[in-house]
Amino acid sequence: MLEFDGLYKAYGSNQVLEGVGFGVAAGQMFGFCGSNGAGKTTTMRIAMGLARADAGEVRWAGRPVDEAVRRRIGYMPEERGLYPKMKVGEQLTYFARLHGMDAAPAARAAGAWAERLGLGERRDDRVEKLSLGNQQRVQLAAALVSEPDVLILDEPFSGLDPVGVDSLADALLEQCRRGVPVVFSSHQLDLVERLCDAVGILARGRIVASGSVAELRTSAAGRQLRVVAPDAAPGWAAAVPGVRVVSEQRGDAVLELAPGTDDQQVLAAALATGRVTHFAWREPTLVELFRDAVTDTREVAA
Amino acid sequence: MTAPAHSDVTPHSPAQLVRLVAGREVSTRIRDKGFLIGSAVLIVLIVGLLVFQVAINSGSETTRIAVVGGSEAVTGALETQAEALDVDVQVTEYDDEGAARTAVEDGDVDGALLDPAGARPELLVENDGGQVETLVQGAVQGLSISQQLADAGVQLTSPPEVEVVALDADADADVEAAVVALVGVVVLYSLLILFGQFVAQGVVEEKSSRVVELLLATMRPWQLLAGKILGLGLLGLGQMVVIAVVGVAGALAFDVVELPGRLIGTVVTVVAWFVLGYAFYASVFAAAASLVSRQEDLGSVITPASIVLVVGFVVSVQAAQDPTGSLATVTSFVPGLSPLVMPVRQAAGGAAWWEVAVAVVLMLVAIAAIVRIGGRVYAGALLRTGGKVKFREALSAER
Repeated sequence: MLEFDGLYKAYGSNQVLEGVGFGVAAGQMFGFCGSNGAGKTTTMRIAMGLARADAGEVRWAGRPVDEAVRRRIGYMPEERGLYPKMKVGEQLTYFARLHGMDAAPAARAAGAWAERLGLGERRDDRVEKLSLGNQQRVQLAAALVSEPDVLILDEPFSGLDPVGVDSLADALLEQCRRGVPVVFSSHQLDLVERLCDAVGILARGRIVASGSVAELRTSAAGRQLRVVAPDAAPGWAAAVPGVRVVSEQRGDAVLELAPGTDDQQVLAAALATGRVTHFAWREPTLVELFRDAVTDTREVAA
Repeated sequence: MTAPAHSDVTPHSPAQLVRLVAGREVSTRIRDKGFLIGSAVLIVLIVGLLVFQVAINSGSETTRIAVVGGSEAVTGALETQAEALDVDVQVTEYDDEGAARTAVEDGDVDGALLDPAGARPELLVENDGGQVETLVQGAVQGLSISQQLADAGVQLTSPPEVEVVALDADADADVEAAVVALVGVVVLYSLLILFGQFVAQGVVEEKSSRVVELLLATMRPWQLLAGKILGLGLLGLGQMVVIAVVGVAGALAFDVVELPGRLIGTVVTVVAWFVLGYAFYASVFAAAASLVSRQEDLGSVITPASIVLVVGFVVSVQAAQDPTGSLATVTSFVPGLSPLVMPVRQAAGGAAWWEVAVAVVLMLVAIAAIVRIGGRVYAGALLRTGGKVKFREALSAER
């Protein structure tokens, strides 16, 4: 279990983190979402020892993360960084060695990862000569080359084309199957929804929602019910007690139910108007959940 | 918790990390074209300097004389006379006057002596007798006098040999050693500038390419700094030693110095001061470079340290001319200047052992302070990219 526990961090008078805490189990893929400047990068940098938390700690397998543990973490910083004039193969070997591998296994692992990420033929090219997409692959290979126990990736998908996204997603899922906990931040919420077992939404320095996407959905406030009753007269739904009409257009109504209101009562009312062609709770997308979660705290904070 | 097992992975000690970083510095730099060209130029310069010395020596000091109708006695007299005048002479026998005349006209010899043992010896020169005339005149007179004395039946006893007592036997050697030290300081200065630049560029490269964040996730700033400075330092020392060996070997082979022992001692001193100077300037350059994120901004932060280096160099040139002057004496103790000035004073015989010891201790103290402060600045500024970090901010930075 990789645990982030009560992290606080301020830069001067700017309080960035106010008690960020979440856990990632072995083999779990954790999507870390939040608006720009919410503190995702700071959280990850604290885990990597690149920033010091004012309070709180990050633990791996119950032990505070120290330098020895960090060498077992594969990390991809938000600002990509490689030696521009170093050859791909040498660079990967170097990073593998920095993470504790011996020379020969490091060279083997570098070759294998270059091959797997489609960089086999570019192994002897300098990084600066590669396209941005290929540089991104080298960056990922640098994070994976030492077969790390934990992966922490800051915006790994940004700047990738759809094919690149797929191959990165495959690589990450494979790491999860190996039992590696993977934390990555992303603004591409559809991707997070598709890949992640668990999601944490960071806003204003706190985790405002976390859990599996399904859990987030059920706990989400303001769930909406969509009813399509083509023959109904306008205003039919408003007559049902506890119902608020969000929108209504030619019999297609989106409703919000007050707590304790029975959705079957709504159905009965709808059937009373004639045919009902659609009656379903709308599953909020992660985007909507995110928007709600982020706006809620804004209102609280304001 | 099922953490995957890794048979290939052993945790690194700090020393291993420093060695890894140093190894990368050496292996990337040693293949760098700029470095290779720079090294080649320095070695060519040293060899060129030696060849120049040899050319000057050989061109001016050997007097070539053609002799027609000479004998062993004539050659002997010419050589004795040359020794007295402290010049080298090369005597060549010619068969007839015509050949000797051509040799003079062609410049193969400096003068042709005709009929040296006869009543009317003649010296052919191109236009002006000069040294040849003095030499030949003396030799012919000597020959003639001993001939006349022998004819008169005078038995010559050997004249007494005058014993020479030198009051400052080392005076010439001191000058020679000071010149050697000065050449050494030129090399030392060039290498300090070169490798100081390498350190600074390396720091900025890591910062501008942001690779530093990845590096610092696996090691501490001081390990990165130490590896970089040690790696490049070993390379610099290696280059210094190669130049020293080429220089000394060349000087001995071409026979341009009079006291090989002094030469080697001076060269060793210069190499030792290089180590101290490099430790000092590399730390300063690294800390300064960590304040900026772009190569374009590098000049503005390393200029102050470069100016100190240039001042040290100028003073050391002055010290070579006046090694006992107060400027040389004072600056040979100032950390940062001492690596450039003290070797010249030492070589010129102007520094007592305790003075050298004091200068070394001061330098070591300064290095310790620089490494501490510089290390903090480096650690504080390394992760602050974009724009220029202020020295004070970096010093007090909390990560």
